[in-house]
Amino acid sequence: MMVAVFAAMTLALAALWLERRTLAVAAVVTSLALGAGLFLWEIWSPETGFRMPWIQTRLDAPATAEA
Amino acid sequence: MRHGLAGATYAFGLAALAAVAAILTAAMAIQYVGGELPCPLCLLERLALFGAAFGLLANLRGPYSARFTGLCLGFALFLLIVSTRQTLLDIYPRPGHAYVGRAVFGLHMPVWSVLIALALLAANAAKLAILGGDAHMQGVRPADFPLVRRAAAALGLYVLGLCVINLVSVVVQCGLGQCHTTGYALLP
Repeated sequence: MMVAVFAAMTLALAALWLERRTLAVAAVVTSLALGAGLFLWEIWSPETGFRMPWIQTRLDAPATAEA
Repeated sequence: MRHGLAGATYAFGLAALAAVAAILTAAMAIQYVGGELPCPLCLLERLALFGAAFGLLANLRGPYSARFTGLCLGFALFLLIVSTRQTLLDIYPRPGHAYVGRAVFGLHMPVWSVLIALALLAANAAKLAILGGDAHMQGVRPADFPLVRRAAAALGLYVLGLCVINLVSVVVQCGLGQCHTTGYALLP
């Protein structure tokens, strides 16, 4: 997948160099879309999904009388 | 006046493109000279920088269009999202998660990437605030600025060369599967 992302970006820059603007824009947008998809796949975890539970944003619940 | 504004717009584009090319060169030097393999999110941050370079280069080499400024801003935003998430992943040390690579001037790569993304966004915002939209660029041809044309051609070729080297490097590091920082997949 990462290879496809960079292949699309290389094609975009090469097409831009050769003044093939339509192809260049199509390739760079494809690269961005593939990159965004790969980013979401990389950060998703089967245990936590997209959440980041190691970053505590709530105070612990106050201790109860029984505890 | 209009010629001056166009010159200033091209100067901004050249300076920003040179800065992005220098950052990509430094990242690749750290990989090949320092022996630090990039993680998947680090590679996506490189992708965002190549995309920002694409937007800048397109405006330098052909008819100026706000659409390419939009592409540059879009890739800067992508860089900000990826690097912020990576910083939040590594900010709390735990097993299997720590900043990849060594710190440069006290900051690790994802933190640098956040700053670079903010700098790209701020520079574009400043350009739009000071020079305005692209109305003064209508009908202006890069050929009217020979120095800009030559510098853009050289920088464009350089960035394309970096992207080709990076593509080969990604093929060797990742093969057709997942990328790992433990070694190059296609090297023994």
